[in-house]
Amino acid sequence: MARIDVASTVADVPQLRGLFITAMPDCLLFGSWVREGETWHPEDVAAYFGDLIRANREGLKALGSWSALMQVTIESADVLIILRELEGDFVAGFVFSRETPLGMVRLHIKRMTDRLQAQLPAFQVQERPRAVRVLEFLQRYAPDPHASLLRVSLQTGVPLETLARPEALAAEQLAAVERSIADILGIDELHL
Amino acid sequence: MLDKIASQRELLAEQSLAFIADCPVLYHCHHFNLFLDQTIDDALGGDAGNALRTAAAREAFGELLTRLSARADLTTPPERLELARALFAAAGHGKLDIAMERGGGGATGEHLHYGFTWLDKYGDAVRRRRPADAVAAGYAAAAAELALGLPPRSVAATESACVALRAPRCEFKLVPGQPPEAPRPHVGKAESLAAAGSGFAGLDEARVATIADGLRQVTAGVAGDARGLVQAFGVFVTLHAATYYNRISYEGLKHVEHQSQAGAAVMEALLRESGHVCVFNTFGGILLSPEWEGMVGTLEGGVAEVVVGCCAIARALGFGAWSVVRLEPGRELVLRAPCTYEGPYWRAREERSDRPRCYFFQGAALAIMQLAHRVPWKDRPGLTQEFYRKLFAAGVPWKVEETSCVAKGDAHCEVKVTPV
Repeated sequence: MARIDVASTVADVPQLRGLFITAMPDCLLFGSWVREGETWHPEDVAAYFGDLIRANREGLKALGSWSALMQVTIESADVLIILRELEGDFVAGFVFSRETPLGMVRLHIKRMTDRLQAQLPAFQVQERPRAVRVLEFLQRYAPDPHASLLRVSLQTGVPLETLARPEALAAEQLAAVERSIADILGIDELHL
Repeated sequence: MLDKIASQRELLAEQSLAFIADCPVLYHCHHFNLFLDQTIDDALGGDAGNALRTAAAREAFGELLTRLSARADLTTPPERLELARALFAAAGHGKLDIAMERGGGGATGEHLHYGFTWLDKYGDAVRRRRPADAVAAGYAAAAAELALGLPPRSVAATESACVALRAPRCEFKLVPGQPPEAPRPHVGKAESLAAAGSGFAGLDEARVATIADGLRQVTAGVAGDARGLVQAFGVFVTLHAATYYNRISYEGLKHVEHQSQAGAAVMEALLRESGHVCVFNTFGGILLSPEWEGMVGTLEGGVAEVVVGCCAIARALGFGAWSVVRLEPGRELVLRAPCTYEGPYWRAREERSDRPRCYFFQGAALAIMQLAHRVPWKDRPGLTQEFYRKLFAAGVPWKVEETSCVAKGDAHCEVKVTPV
């Protein structure tokens, strides 16, 4: 999966437990490195980190405080996570051991970001059809994901076979599907 | 009051169907209750779904409370309201206080099963937009009608505050004087016997019957705790009205069938899923419970052992006298029942069906094959939401066909599960 040399990027950072490169706006995993012994699923982590960055952008815009290439810090019980926007619409998620001093974290991130930025492609990431992305969003957040497509089909009348090829959804079908997904997730609208 | 209720419990032993005052009842968990209600709302839309669920609860519990009250010779409004309050809490639905006069009234609920368990199961994941307690609303309306001698099915009930919407308690408005909903045919013991075939001695029949009898003794002593909830085997359990489940399922499905056969197939799949999630969690929880170990012994996890155990559990909970006709591990399971709790309702209230209608039985049979083949019992796994999601993220590797159904006029109900 990795199209860049992530392993060498993290070689001299013993406190790092994982690094995930997410391609926005689709929240797809572009590259990753996970320390041996960790059981994380990079695709899942990358998608959720991407959603987090997207929500953060919206929140900052609502505050009139948005700026490109911002950074999010998350301190949980056992990890310290830094999400850093990179040029080219990528997001790097650095996962450190919790006890790593913040100054050390910043220093490592500066070095690793420079290395990553030098490797990341300059092409414009092509956005996939919105219908594909909204259904992926549903699968990530639906309370019963195994039943979520059935629920959308029952609510909207869009056949399951059509939902299996979301790129072919007509505009009015997509609108109905989005309303259904918002209803299932209990949100007003989808910011994707 | 609980003695008066208990004295009206009856069992059709050969069919393993339970009744209170000739109204069919059974035990169901919060996984089933929430998923089924959600499916009705998905099919009809939130407002119409809520209206159907409220009306079905008002009808089913109105009949139950009226018959119970008559048999117990309760004549005054306080006596009848006390009956309603006691039954509701004993059955695991929560605490419901009803204040009603002829001009109108209301009710307040604490720890209501639907709202409370929705918040417990889904509250961290999604925000709910509509109240969850249509059953309590319908029940309160029925209790108010009975207490004041109002025409049956004439009190409208709406939930104005709900804990699932983060309110501190649930509140209901009760408005009398609505045009009464037309009565529907009664479904009781006689109707169930008319629909049911004969009992069938399947695999390990004696063992199934013995375990079922033991479990019935356990469930007979089950009553709501200080909250009015029954929390057991890793789930929240209710003693519920079969007529409620059947009416919302079949009326919801008929509505969809009128619009689209493809849509009906989708709804049927979701009705099966409500049975699947129920049996996987509740039956699995019982199989892992100390009560099971004390009564039956430690579960080793053999396929036949699990399937036979599940049939006993189904009988004890009032789902019907499920028997194993054929079991080939990894290849096939055939279950038969004289009828399920679903079939008699269809026979009493609907035209003869051109297709099988026991959707819970179908989903349950699928879940039994999952439990028998895909759960590492010796590891004593926690049957969590996460476990369920991971196990079924890629779908269910079995398919089910109901080959006979009393709703079609067949002599019994039978389902066959085979690999996809």
